Amino acid sequence: MLSIRDLHAQIGARKILKGLSLEVNAGEVHAIMGPNGSGKSTLASVLVGREGYEVTQGTVDYCGRNLLALAPEERAREGVFLAFQYPVEIPGVNNAYLLKAALNAVRKQRGLGELDAFDFLSLVRDKMKLMQMDESFLNRGVNEGFSGGEKKRNEILQMALLEPRLALLDETDSGLDIDALRIVASGVNSLRAPGRAIVLVTHYQRLLDYIEPDYVHVLSDGRILRTGDKSLALELERRGYDWVKQEASAA
Amino acid sequence: MSEPARTTATEQYREAFETLRPALRGQPERRSAAFARFEELGFPGSRDEAWKYTNLRRLESRRFAPAIRADALCAKIVLPATLGDRRVVLVNGHLRDDLSNLRSPPSGVRIGALGEVRAHDGVAATVLRWPQGGGTERFAALNAAMSADPLLIEVERGIRCNEVLHVVLVANGAAPTMSYPRVSVRMAPDSFLRVVLHHVGDETGEHFVAAVVDAELADGAELHAYRIQAAGGRAFHIERFDVTVGAGARLAVRDSQLGSSLSRLDLNINLAGRAAEAAVTGLFIADGSRHLDTHVHIDHRGVETRSLQDYRGVAANRGRAVFNGKTVVHEGAQKSNARQSSRNLLLTQGAEIDTKPELEIYADDVQCGHGATTGQLDPAAMFYLRSRGLSEDEARSALTRAFAGAVLSRIDHAPVASLVHDELDDRLVRLMEPQS
Repeated sequence: MLSIRDLHAQIGARKILKGLSLEVNAGEVHAIMGPNGSGKSTLASVLVGREGYEVTQGTVDYCGRNLLALAPEERAREGVFLAFQYPVEIPGVNNAYLLKAALNAVRKQRGLGELDAFDFLSLVRDKMKLMQMDESFLNRGVNEGFSGGEKKRNEILQMALLEPRLALLDETDSGLDIDALRIVASGVNSLRAPGRAIVLVTHYQRLLDYIEPDYVHVLSDGRILRTGDKSLALELERRGYDWVKQEASAA
Repeated sequence: MSEPARTTATEQYREAFETLRPALRGQPERRSAAFARFEELGFPGSRDEAWKYTNLRRLESRRFAPAIRADALCAKIVLPATLGDRRVVLVNGHLRDDLSNLRSPPSGVRIGALGEVRAHDGVAATVLRWPQGGGTERFAALNAAMSADPLLIEVERGIRCNEVLHVVLVANGAAPTMSYPRVSVRMAPDSFLRVVLHHVGDETGEHFVAAVVDAELADGAELHAYRIQAAGGRAFHIERFDVTVGAGARLAVRDSQLGSSLSRLDLNINLAGRAAEAAVTGLFIADGSRHLDTHVHIDHRGVETRSLQDYRGVAANRGRAVFNGKTVVHEGAQKSNARQSSRNLLLTQGAEIDTKPELEIYADDVQCGHGATTGQLDPAAMFYLRSRGLSEDEARSALTRAFAGAVLSRIDHAPVASLVHDELDDRLVRLMEPQS
């Protein structure tokens, strides 16, 4: 589904990704772990087309298309979804409006008609129950005055509603208490499906206690140094990242 | 040096005044005095501080025909959808009985042209007064000299008018026409009135409108004025809007500036009595090559007076807007509360908004605050919406509506609110179209 080959990316003159390669197939859950500054968030940003990141080398193929050539909204409509590390507050833009506009944009792309108000509301209510969110969130501004945990839940709510093919989660566990983490994890787990790939970007192993990955990758200095199964995450938790770097440079 | 130029610029107005004078009703000596004042002040010079960002040379160089009563009374008018319970229509400043509903007004409310309403003497004398001072006194004087049918709305003591008046002020004519619509509102103690002041005009006419609105709120009166400036896209619209607010009286102005080629509004509010209140909110949309200049001036003279000024502006393409909000808390206006805010959004490159909030305080026991911002849409918010599948245009529209929504939500008269919402949406759609 997603094939990243030798990806180099920079912000201004600062090189951040330095030859990153990654294969993700439908039905898989990948965790990308790494120390601060290793390029985890840059990878997520490049995949969704955030401005300010320049790709200087390499390719990203998504379902047979050159992902990098698509505008951010085209990527979203093609089924790429990023749960942001820091979701922005947008006062005055109603949460329900955003959910509906986003849902109809992806439905249109899939050749489906727009949902009417009744069907939309019953669908969104189901998903809100899953995320244990009060319906009053619908009538508030997007993320306006939401706590950190509420913002993250709102991200997963959008994800659950939009049913992406490729779900990227950027440090979704950061700043969550244990209850919120459980809710978020169960939301993500409910989305595990044979046709869907999930890529979790995370600093800590904690999230992986709740969302079990098929693959764990260690990202350091803009490249993937090591790939393993979930036991690698536990090892990282125990031993830190330095040994991976040392083994990689020794090799 | 400037004397001959001024004479040339005002000459056509002298001719128009001479043409109209025989048909003008009421107080000829006052009309003459007003015209003399206009001639004395002339058009603003290039160094006039009140016209720093608005150049009237284009207006000065244009020729306009005077609005003849016979023409105004038979002109075919396409009226806007009704926004109230009772409509009153002035065409080029002339009252159109046939388009207005003046029969059986609500009890305690009188509506009509000066000279026709049974206004008591004191009131009649005040209607042709022109407000002194400021950058628009010249145009207010010009209006006082030539206004054909000053519309007088009087509400008696204790009367709460449950009808919303929709006053439509139309600029019309095959040739570019000058007109001087005038609305005077006199509210007796403890009266209540809601009025929509709706300026419209044909889209192609290069007309000049010098409008005057003046309102007096006696103690305990309450006026809600919904102003819609939807002049034709080639029109010059200059307006002087003065309100005196008595003790315990309340004024709400909801201003929406949508039209014209060039417009100027001077809104002057005098909080004269103890605990007088004014809340003024507005939205202006300077798109295309529109130039919108707004000066709001609020004087706190009474103790415990309160004012709120909240304007939001949107500019795009070659649009240009100027906002000057000034609040003065005079000596002795203790325990007053004044807040002002001016927030502005530039949607495209080339657009420009100049804003200048000013607060002058001469009393020591007051609460005041002001703020002004001019900026573009938040790129992080734009990206967030696009990352959810909204197109760039949809994202821009959603964020612009959100920006304007903060003042539009204050329009507590639904027909006006929905008109302005629709107009904003329409402009946003047109903005997205490729520029020719």
